[in-house]
Amino acid sequence: MFSYAISDLRRTLAMLPVAFYFARSDLKARYQRSVLGPLWLVFGTAIGVTGLGLLWSVLLHSNRAQFIPSLTVGLVVWQFISGTVTESSRTFINNWLLIRNLSIPFGFYPTQLIMRQLVNFAHNALVILVVLLIYPPPLGLAQLLVLPGLLLVVGNLWWVALVLGMMGARFRDLEPLIGAFMPLLFFLSPVIYRPDQLGIKSVLAWVNPFSYLITVVRDPVQGVVPAAFVYAGALGMLAGGWLFALWLLQGRHKRIAFWV
Amino acid sequence: MAHIVFDNVTLQYPIYNSKNMSLRNQLARIGTGGTLSQESSDIVAVTALNQVNFELRDGDAIGLVGHNGAGKTTLLRAMAGIYKPIAGKVSIEGSTSTIIDLGAGMDPELSGYENILRMGLMLGSSRQQMDARTEDIERFTELGDFLKVPVRTYSSGMVMRLMFAVATSVQPEILLIDEMFSTGDAEFQKKARSRMADLIDAAKIFVFASHDPELIRQFCKRVFRLEHGNLSEIAMTWF
Repeated sequence: MFSYAISDLRRTLAMLPVAFYFARSDLKARYQRSVLGPLWLVFGTAIGVTGLGLLWSVLLHSNRAQFIPSLTVGLVVWQFISGTVTESSRTFINNWLLIRNLSIPFGFYPTQLIMRQLVNFAHNALVILVVLLIYPPPLGLAQLLVLPGLLLVVGNLWWVALVLGMMGARFRDLEPLIGAFMPLLFFLSPVIYRPDQLGIKSVLAWVNPFSYLITVVRDPVQGVVPAAFVYAGALGMLAGGWLFALWLLQGRHKRIAFWV
Repeated sequence: MAHIVFDNVTLQYPIYNSKNMSLRNQLARIGTGGTLSQESSDIVAVTALNQVNFELRDGDAIGLVGHNGAGKTTLLRAMAGIYKPIAGKVSIEGSTSTIIDLGAGMDPELSGYENILRMGLMLGSSRQQMDARTEDIERFTELGDFLKVPVRTYSSGMVMRLMFAVATSVQPEILLIDEMFSTGDAEFQKKARSRMADLIDAAKIFVFASHDPELIRQFCKRVFRLEHGNLSEIAMTWF
């Protein structure tokens, strides 16, 4: 079962350093002639956080010391999620030249996307660091959960990129469809607010799969241990999602070269 | 030892979302020589290879002939394991290089040196291997200091030199080439031919799709003809 898919992913893992090199090299190419270079990422996020933070803390009557750090972490994690999801539908299409000419494992292309988004994320994390220095959270053991939380996010986005990449190559309507829904999903996801602020209606927030991914990173950063059901949700998505991704890759890998 | 076996291989090429199917069907039938069939309501499938059988061993040098759309490139891609058949079995043993479309992995914003590494990594080489080959690539391309500036600034001939040099810097056991000898100026063509000849000599299995009988006679020992996806061997003496 899944013998092809598993060997594909094993060869993908062997190419991790190559994917990382390409992620950095792509970033360099993108900012080749710009003065600030990748610092534009940091700058953009910093401006967003300052503007949205000041505006919404007034609009929502929130305490800035609580609201701004929560917004910052939420926004940076959201950028990671939405960047990956938005670009994923073109992962295979954009690499048609490689796919048609070389026998590279298919897992490589989504991995390259994840790496590129991780490099962006690492830049944006600087903004989180600065905000946390201004509004320090209570430090404790909860912060140790940040890393497992990030791993859960990366692990989930990885299968999402593989699945959406394959589906986007076959169904060209997927890309505009995702593009149309992402801005709405930003407001539906708990970036600006926290699920507990919805009170009794917080169930609504937990219908949204992105809520789990944001919470497993944001809560530990702020010194809060996420509820067990949040971990259960994120782990469930991880297991279910990868099973689906393996099934899809096993069944459809022969077609990808014809789709792109 | 290098070895390629095609056992009753049928490969269909799906064309998705094609509208005006009947018209397309007809045009494609006339224009490409492929056999079209209807896979489902909106997917047209071209049968690019039809029950193809052959076995290649060390020392085989094959010339692949057939008119445009006969399936030559598809067969090369199937030999490289890129296109998978819908029926039959393909087995490939040995490291493989394809020279079909060049430049996979290239980014025009980056310098020549960075692109040498990028393309090389995509061909499956390691960083150390590419570092070791860089000198040879420098010498062959004669691009000198241009290798330090973005590829975007190159002329198309210079880009071709770079792509060709990287693609031919790796010595494979199985070498699959699509019509490729007509690149660059006359002097570069001569160099490219002699570099290609070295690569061909050292390869264990060599397959070359071409419309040029001269080149095929020069490099190949056997000739396969593809017609509407059907493969047949022509005796070299008849070719």
